[in-house]
Amino acid sequence: MIHIENISAGYLNRTVLKKISCNIGSKDFFGIIGKNGAGKSTLLKVLCKLIKPYLGNIFIDNKNINFFAKKDFAKTISFLPQYVDTSLPFTVYEFIMFGRYPYMNIFKIPSDSDCNIVKKVMDFLHIMDFAERKINALSGGEKQRVLIAQVLAQETDIIVFDEPTSHLDIGSQNKLLEILRDLNEKYNKTVILTLHDLNAAGEFCNKLVLMENGEICNCGTPEEVLNYKDIERVYDTTVVVKTNPISDKPYVIPVSRIKER
Amino acid sequence: MVNKKCAYILMLVLVVAAFLFSLISGTVDISCIDAVKALLGNSVDETKTSIIRHVRFPHSIMACITGAGLAVSGCVFQGILKNPLADPFTLGVSSGAVFGVAIAFISGLATVTSFFVTVCAFLGSLLSTLIVYLLSMYKRFGSNSMVLSGVITSYMFSAAVMLIFALSPATNIQSAFAWLIGTLSIFDERMVLFVAIIVILGSVVLSLSGNIINAVSLGGEKSRTLGINIEGSIKFLFLTASLITAATVSVCGIIGFVGLITPHIMRKIVGTNNVILIPVSAFAGAFFLLTCDTLARTLFKPMVIPVGVITNIIGGSFFVFLLLKRENSIA
Repeated sequence: MIHIENISAGYLNRTVLKKISCNIGSKDFFGIIGKNGAGKSTLLKVLCKLIKPYLGNIFIDNKNINFFAKKDFAKTISFLPQYVDTSLPFTVYEFIMFGRYPYMNIFKIPSDSDCNIVKKVMDFLHIMDFAERKINALSGGEKQRVLIAQVLAQETDIIVFDEPTSHLDIGSQNKLLEILRDLNEKYNKTVILTLHDLNAAGEFCNKLVLMENGEICNCGTPEEVLNYKDIERVYDTTVVVKTNPISDKPYVIPVSRIKER
Repeated sequence: MVNKKCAYILMLVLVVAAFLFSLISGTVDISCIDAVKALLGNSVDETKTSIIRHVRFPHSIMACITGAGLAVSGCVFQGILKNPLADPFTLGVSSGAVFGVAIAFISGLATVTSFFVTVCAFLGSLLSTLIVYLLSMYKRFGSNSMVLSGVITSYMFSAAVMLIFALSPATNIQSAFAWLIGTLSIFDERMVLFVAIIVILGSVVLSLSGNIINAVSLGGEKSRTLGINIEGSIKFLFLTASLITAATVSVCGIIGFVGLITPHIMRKIVGTNNVILIPVSAFAGAFFLLTCDTLARTLFKPMVIPVGVITNIIGGSFFVFLLLKRENSIA
């Protein structure tokens, strides 16, 4: 259970998050949506201790995150940022092994158990075939799976993703979100992610937060959050919200303003 | 990718071969058997024994250590700066050493013994390292700010050196010039042990830190969420690699390209993983400098040219080759 309490944070003199509070349950597939610059990524960075908040606290299972040692925190929460440098030609296997660093000794020498876990993760994500390929020679979808494998190798209960589906085609996007849903439902991981695709957010997340100008303007189930009034106001556009007849989840269709006239 | 054990064995064999070849090459021809006998203390011609024991052996050992040290520190700087074109001198260590040498020559300390040149160069290197460290600290050791701090420090020291040389007699400049282009011929024998201890200890520690350098190369946000103290790791790696560079530069001068091309070539052969790359680069650096030194001593026999000339010619040609190869592949 994550309890975010009254968090204000930002960069230099610019306040991005303004007194944000919310709770994330341990079984949640928690989506954060909102316009560009609303503070979604900043919230994730505060949660992952990459940015220190000006005010407020975050508790994981009633323990303040400030009191976690670096290694212990890395064994509790893993994060996949929007940008990870994959320009150096590490092999896929070597790259995933980085995820085991919190469990290694001072010189980071992998044990047999580290190697086994990496192999298990690669097997789970069906990427065993390209274990020896170079990370910088993979396609966007393949690379994203390797990055997720690295996060999984970290074996944390909470997994945080910052826009994991950006730059992916619709098929790769769906496959990736299905993997994350499996992790949430079958392996009891708490998944927290930011998304720009409202339909994917409505389809896969069980809890959503809609952010606007560094504040939470709505929080709840996809049916509660994806209502046309809030979406139109936050995104400053006209939309139609319908229910997917197959999954019974809400989906959002933007409507051209020219036609509206 | 080449098997790890094969790479180590192959490189070790190459270094031993280059070492033996370096012992028998020079103005006086000495056979391989005589050289080994002289080293083992078996009686050979006294002159030959003396040449091998007091001239060529320390000389070749120094080439080995310097080559390995420069390659290891080059490899580490390329890793922490995330820049394959970084070398041991990118962060201004050499500029401080040059400043120290300039001070040694104008103060007259250099004329007393070459030992003082080494001491001044070493202190100068440490001073420039300290300045880069303090400047980088303000930007929390980001790679760009470290490179910028290195460039700033280099220019400041270069200005001071130019001023010193402009005001000194021509004889001083000529003596300092030999040191500037890098040479293995003018070091003080007592310094071999000093450099060997720093380079060997530093290289072992840095080789064991290969995985930390790998993590640093992932980028700040990702590395920090893996529970790694990035800033602390960069400080430690930077200071250790700078100390190795300072030790080698203060004894042998600025020998260019060793720390740049050996990690570069080895990366293509053994891959990017610094756990393997650093020790293999150390062997490659030793082999490269031994070979260049042998060439420097034998190409224009009996004249010995500074080894820096050879390394710069080979290094420059290598990059021309890389550039042309890349142009062709784009075409």
